[in-house]
Amino acid sequence: MAGGLSLYAEGTSLLHRAHPLTKGVVTLSAVALAFIAPSIGWVAALGIILLVLVALAGVLRRLLAVALAILLPITLLLLAVQGFANPNNRTVVFALGPIVYYREGLAIAALAAVRIACLVGATFLFSFTTRPADLSEALMQRGLSPRMGYVLQSALQIIPQTLDMAGRIQDAQRARGLETEGSLPRRARAYLPLMLPLVLSSLVATQERAMALEVRGFGLRVKRISRYEFVDSAAQRILRWVMALAVPGAIAARIAGWR
Amino acid sequence: MPEILLQDVRFAYPGGVEVYPEPGLSLSMGEGVTALVGENGAGKTTLTKLMIGLLRPRSGVVEVGGLDVGTVTVAAMAQTVGYSFQNPDDQLFERTVKAEVAFGPRVLKKRSEEIERGVAWALRACGLEGKEDVHPHDLGLSERKWVAIASALAGEPRVMVLDEPTLGQDYPSRQRLARLVEQLGLEGRTVLVVTHDMDFVGEACPTTVVLSHGTVMYAGPTSGAFEDRSMVKEAGLEPPHVTALGRSLGLAESVNEAGFLDAWKVQRS
Amino acid sequence: MSELALVFDGVSYAYEEAPREAVSDISLSISSGEWIGVTGPTNAGKSTLCLLAMGLAPHFFGGRLKGSVLAFGRDSRTVPVIERSSEVGLLFQNPFTQISGARERVDDEVAFGPECHGLSRPEVDMRVEEAMRQVGITHLASRHPLDLSGGQLQRLALAALLAMQPKLLLLDEPTSQLDPAGTAAIFEVLAGLHARGVTIVMVEHRLETLCELCPRIVAMVAGRVLADGPPDDVFNHAAVQDRVGLPVFTRLARDADLPGPWPVRLADSTAAFESPIA
Repeated sequence: MAGGLSLYAEGTSLLHRAHPLTKGVVTLSAVALAFIAPSIGWVAALGIILLVLVALAGVLRRLLAVALAILLPITLLLLAVQGFANPNNRTVVFALGPIVYYREGLAIAALAAVRIACLVGATFLFSFTTRPADLSEALMQRGLSPRMGYVLQSALQIIPQTLDMAGRIQDAQRARGLETEGSLPRRARAYLPLMLPLVLSSLVATQERAMALEVRGFGLRVKRISRYEFVDSAAQRILRWVMALAVPGAIAARIAGWR
Repeated sequence: MPEILLQDVRFAYPGGVEVYPEPGLSLSMGEGVTALVGENGAGKTTLTKLMIGLLRPRSGVVEVGGLDVGTVTVAAMAQTVGYSFQNPDDQLFERTVKAEVAFGPRVLKKRSEEIERGVAWALRACGLEGKEDVHPHDLGLSERKWVAIASALAGEPRVMVLDEPTLGQDYPSRQRLARLVEQLGLEGRTVLVVTHDMDFVGEACPTTVVLSHGTVMYAGPTSGAFEDRSMVKEAGLEPPHVTALGRSLGLAESVNEAGFLDAWKVQRS
Repeated sequence: MSELALVFDGVSYAYEEAPREAVSDISLSISSGEWIGVTGPTNAGKSTLCLLAMGLAPHFFGGRLKGSVLAFGRDSRTVPVIERSSEVGLLFQNPFTQISGARERVDDEVAFGPECHGLSRPEVDMRVEEAMRQVGITHLASRHPLDLSGGQLQRLALAALLAMQPKLLLLDEPTSQLDPAGTAAIFEVLAGLHARGVTIVMVEHRLETLCELCPRIVAMVAGRVLADGPPDDVFNHAAVQDRVGLPVFTRLARDADLPGPWPVRLADSTAAFESPIA
């Protein structure tokens, strides 16, 4: 199985080149704002801004694939359920046989759907334009402990590695005559012979890796200088502060009556 | 009637190149001990996996013990083929050596007398007597490999595949392995040993198949396997040490120590 | 004057909760620049020897250590393994578990160690390039480590160690997972390092290989050193022949009734068999 888990799409757009922290802060902020903004108009405006950024990054087609796979089913489900079951329903819009759809429910569903679209759009935009290890690298440059940084970076490879191991174990046990498909009792019997070697091998591998890390000097208290320089600028710093402050600002506005 | 038969087999890993070029791999093996040698990437492990159905060929026929491998599940193939993988830790999970070795025949639904018999024989043949109650993970890697081999043997299979059994093994262990495969061959079983250890090949495997870039470069008696030096070089192999010494002394070609000593005595007289 | 790279002084060690000692009463002196081959049957304590030299025993494993292990004059008890790592490197048997698992490119993986040591960026880059070149993986620089074969991974692991420019290299069966081509590649790198004065301690089962490459062999059995010296001496030692084994050439000479001492290498064997007194 190729490499670690990554949605990263090669590119040289402004977003690709932006500092990982900028992208991280903007993403989190955008998601928060999408859920704080009071009405569909505001959220949709945010969504359009995100869409523009997606196009700028050159990942529009990828995002549309995600939209189709994830957003479409969710949106339809929300509309279908909230449209007729929401307790605030009063105004009839249309009826499908015995099922009556009301405006209030549909409106709530639409708002929720657009918020989720912003959530999905922002997080996928981040993933498409940021190498997985870059965020943890940037955080370490700003003071995140190397141990935490290592945990983040190795998490990405652990899943494919474990899946590979599980596959090999399954092959080995099948070759001994263990049936792994079929009836529930049969698959239940296969559980221990498949799980135990996985757990044991993972524990042993973890121990060996820990030794290997010590042999490389991991954990020395020295100033770590990273090989990768991320381009930062005053403009990006200002943007990060603005986006970060926009969140409590928006909350305050809501409390003050923003509708 | 060959025990193992492959005919025009073609296979490619997903997203990868063809392992066996046109017209595909054709090979037949009978009873006795055969060594399968070649560089990493030549297609040796792929071949053994095709033999037990872990991989399905794109085209061609794979028959083992008269059975078309494509018609049975991998687990069902285990009734006929005992397979010892390179990494024993992919298999070991029981708490004692004995339980692990017994798992093999147990899962094949053998009768309890058959299980007893198979386990006792396998433990003896693999040098594990006295270690029945040890936890496999308390043993070193080379001993764990023996546990995995014993587990495959305990089912008393007709065909036995050993994937790199000599790796990391000391000399007494390699000798035990040689005696084991010889015994299996004498009993009329078919043994396939995938290995890089040419000394072992010369000592214990009367037949050799040389695979290079998915093509069979040689399939025949081990005594003649190293004669074509350019083929040997192209396949990325080195002849056994006795062969090298025999050549430097101008002796008749030999591939094992007994053969060398015979050739040496002939030259002396 | 030759510095002492590694000294074992009356060393005995037992792992945590182990009933028996893994090594007993080991005394060895290894000078800087030597290439030592370590061999012996299973459970002889060969891997434990490497772990002791690195300091992983006792720091990582706990256990009971008697005597002292000195690498470049410093006692392993007082030096944490991570501090040792700038002088001593240990290459394990299994290539898959000794890469960091946190880097997505081969060159970043090689850079991991030097970065942990806080070296400057130009220094790290230079070491990475040189280490990859020495080991022959420059063409793999941008690949993901998980995409590499076993042989390539083992070379990567070696490069990752060489990037720290160790003075002492410990290798625990480094080529056991490799084919002849991969094995030859590793030994070529080691020969180059040896020529540049790196001290090498290598555990290996293939006696013929050891005799060709190593001017000095340490044979271990059941946790003790049985013999320590040039290959010709060690493999003509009766107890070693019984309990460790002999290279093919030596056994042939013995079985052909050649007069002792018996040869241990191909070239010497040719001469021995051609000799008129044979």
